[in-house]
Amino acid sequence: MRTAATLIEENNGKRELLNDENLALYEEFLLYIRTDLRVDEQAGEEVLMDLLDHLLESQADGKSGKELFGDRPQDYADEVIEALPREKKRNAAVFIISQLLSLAGWFSIAYGVVYILLSFFTEVDTAISLGNILLLLTTVSFVAFIAVCLIFKMVRSTLFRPKKSRTMEYVKAGAFGAAAFGIIMLLAWLIPEFGPIIQLEWWLYVLTGLVLMAAAKLLSRI
Amino acid sequence: MALRSQLLKGVLDACVMAVVEEEAVYGYELSQKLQKIGLPDISDGTIYPVLLRLQKNGFIRGEMRPSASGPNRKYYFLTESGRDELRQIAAEWEEIATPVSNLLKRSE
Repeated sequence: MRTAATLIEENNGKRELLNDENLALYEEFLLYIRTDLRVDEQAGEEVLMDLLDHLLESQADGKSGKELFGDRPQDYADEVIEALPREKKRNAAVFIISQLLSLAGWFSIAYGVVYILLSFFTEVDTAISLGNILLLLTTVSFVAFIAVCLIFKMVRSTLFRPKKSRTMEYVKAGAFGAAAFGIIMLLAWLIPEFGPIIQLEWWLYVLTGLVLMAAAKLLSRI
Repeated sequence: MALRSQLLKGVLDACVMAVVEEEAVYGYELSQKLQKIGLPDISDGTIYPVLLRLQKNGFIRGEMRPSASGPNRKYYFLTESGRDELRQIAAEWEEIATPVSNLLKRSE
């Protein structure tokens, strides 16, 4: 069986064979399906591939993509989503945990690297408090999750509409992203030091980070 | 779907299963066949929600196979329970089709 990842890769290559009109139709549909977080990813990618194959074949027969998606493409997409199986809770949990692990991994690596770079120039205080760092990670993941949901929602609201009204939506999405980042920086500054203090060599941070990322990678293969 | 009725939805499920029973087909082939049979006004896309629904119920299953024209395609096969379901729908259809169309013709 082809996994979702191979399907996505195959889709990226095959999509380029579509003509401009069909590509525009198809990509809207694709975004609408992929940004719906309820949909089982594997089944979603399978039906996207089926439709892409169909579109390529009807294109070769000189038919318009409109015959596939109908006059009301959004209603059609909703009908497809309705018929698709839901993402299993277990998959969603595994996905979220692996994202959290890799976030923590990046955090740790960045900390180690910044520390070693800075220490060439100045005396660095490497002590960090565990409470502070854990709380910060938790809030960062929470803010990031909310931001992703909002941005997905916005992207979805621009689909199947005339192109003109979109610029404003993109500006809005950008502003949301910036605001989320701002909130994270503010929190990093506001959260007090508490909990046990740890002090490690820079390479231990990098090593911990690599282990966390490897764990995330392994988990996402399940 | 240009044909809005709930009735057609059920009938379409049976038609798709009947075509798949005859021979395993992939999506595009299936929509061509349905059009050739003469089902009116069905846009190409209509079959995909039907295929998904039938798969969810375990009446058909998809499998990757190399196609006659070259690339691998997802072919749909009827399962055992799909066969039973189709037999049952066909029997029910048989019972109601003639009386209903006689009745509806009379009221025209």
